[in-house]
Amino acid sequence: MIRPTPEQRRQFLDEGYVVLDEAMVDDDLLRLQAAFDRCAQGSKADWLDGINRGTQPAAFFDIPSPLERDDAFIDLIDHPSWYGLLMDFTDDDLILLGPQVRLLPPSPISYVGWHPDVPHTNPLHIKVQIYVDDVAPDQGPFCFVPKSHKPGAGPYPHVRRLEDMPGRKIFPGKAGTAILFNSYGWHTSMINSTTQPRKSIILIYEKWTEGRVDADRYAGIADRLQTPARRQLFGLEQRTRDS
Amino acid sequence: MAHVDAHVHVFTRPSSEFPRLVSEGMPADREAPVELLLEQMQVDDVDQAILVQTGGTALEHHAYLLHCLAAHPDRFRGIALIPSDCSNPAQHMDQLADDGDIIGFRLRNLGGPFDPLQPIDLRASSTFEIWQHAAEKDYVLWLYPRAADSPILAFLIDAFPQVRVLFNHLMVCVGDGALSWDDEHRPHVAMTLPPVTRYSTLRLYQYENVCVHLSGQYAFSRQDWPYDDTAPWQQTLLREFGADRLMWASDFPWIVEEPGYGRALGVVDELLPELSQPQRQAILGDTARRFLRLPVI
Repeated sequence: MIRPTPEQRRQFLDEGYVVLDEAMVDDDLLRLQAAFDRCAQGSKADWLDGINRGTQPAAFFDIPSPLERDDAFIDLIDHPSWYGLLMDFTDDDLILLGPQVRLLPPSPISYVGWHPDVPHTNPLHIKVQIYVDDVAPDQGPFCFVPKSHKPGAGPYPHVRRLEDMPGRKIFPGKAGTAILFNSYGWHTSMINSTTQPRKSIILIYEKWTEGRVDADRYAGIADRLQTPARRQLFGLEQRTRDS
Repeated sequence: MAHVDAHVHVFTRPSSEFPRLVSEGMPADREAPVELLLEQMQVDDVDQAILVQTGGTALEHHAYLLHCLAAHPDRFRGIALIPSDCSNPAQHMDQLADDGDIIGFRLRNLGGPFDPLQPIDLRASSTFEIWQHAAEKDYVLWLYPRAADSPILAFLIDAFPQVRVLFNHLMVCVGDGALSWDDEHRPHVAMTLPPVTRYSTLRLYQYENVCVHLSGQYAFSRQDWPYDDTAPWQQTLLREFGADRLMWASDFPWIVEEPGYGRALGVVDELLPELSQPQRQAILGDTARRFLRLPVI
């Protein structure tokens, strides 16, 4: 397991994020890209139908049940490029909440404004955003306000334009880039003003707390989760505060 | 304090003088005459209203609307309809709006469905000419879009920042098959709030030419008046758009029997009890008066 460098640990604690360039490369990345495109193609018709029926958002396309669809997505959950960092930041007490395998269509507006995902009363909540293809500065990149994850940070203004948020840092990146961030921090998805959808994956984790996660969530893929560490990460192994 | 009801319908039984289409919600023996509206407005101290055409899109179908506007020029302004197969929408719009009482046009079908992952060609949109003409003539566009059209909304509004746009009925975009008529002879929309289409609409608050109706709660709620389950979404609209971009509407006549006109007006106080007096005044009249440029009475 690759643990964070002192600089990565300082960066996460002080700034609220760590950027992992080339977290996925070569065949590893190609496999993910192929799985992404295959699964998107396989579920797109249902999404379009859902848009027309008003049951699916047009502003983003989340491939449903990605872990059930392809092992490439399962292998992301404890990927060596970020798994050790996540374990370190959660005192080796990490649990997966879920993935979002997402295409972001072009639009003059973002689907979401500036927000933190959870309050500080929530256990530590961390996301990893992985760029499946290159994401240009105008293609809906992730954006974060450094240090906004700290208790007492802010208040942050209700800005009309996303780019007006003071102190924001924008994260374009190459395919295979992963951005790990503390979800107490204020963040958003910027506007995709290109003609190409952004392809990215968001993995959502939390510091494990007893009773917060349904142990049966991933029972349907239990046969594909072979190692004790992976079964624990997916919540299939019972654990208690003392374990 | 003067109130404005920013979205109502009036219609008579179909006649040679006032022809209209007959439908499930508007059978031939149903009527909602302007006199009834004026009575209800008087009881609840509502001074002005926006009459929104229903019962057909053809020029002749607008006869009763035009009649009411001419009879009460200080009380009402009108919103007209455009046939979906209209070969010359600009001419249709001008014919109806020439005397100034018709201030805009209601659109439901914007040409969808669209594939959001493909580039959107606005000029190929069936309503592009309407938006373009609205921009030239300063007509208001009154939107009650279908969910299938949600992908194009931001593109159109971004392309026409000079067009005043008013989203009807809590900014909901109705999904295919979701609209029906309930036992109270009112429209009913089978969906839950907040609408999933909010991801395509809520951040339109960044365009100052976009306002939203607080109306139609009865159609979306699964509860009786005051429709508490719609409150969180209305609070979201208030937080994002602000009271200066929101306007109350009764959706008369669908609410006459249940919950009644007065209680339709009371929804604002019931569901947004924390409003300041200026905010309340904006939602109940000032926003509509300013945005729709209503005459001072």
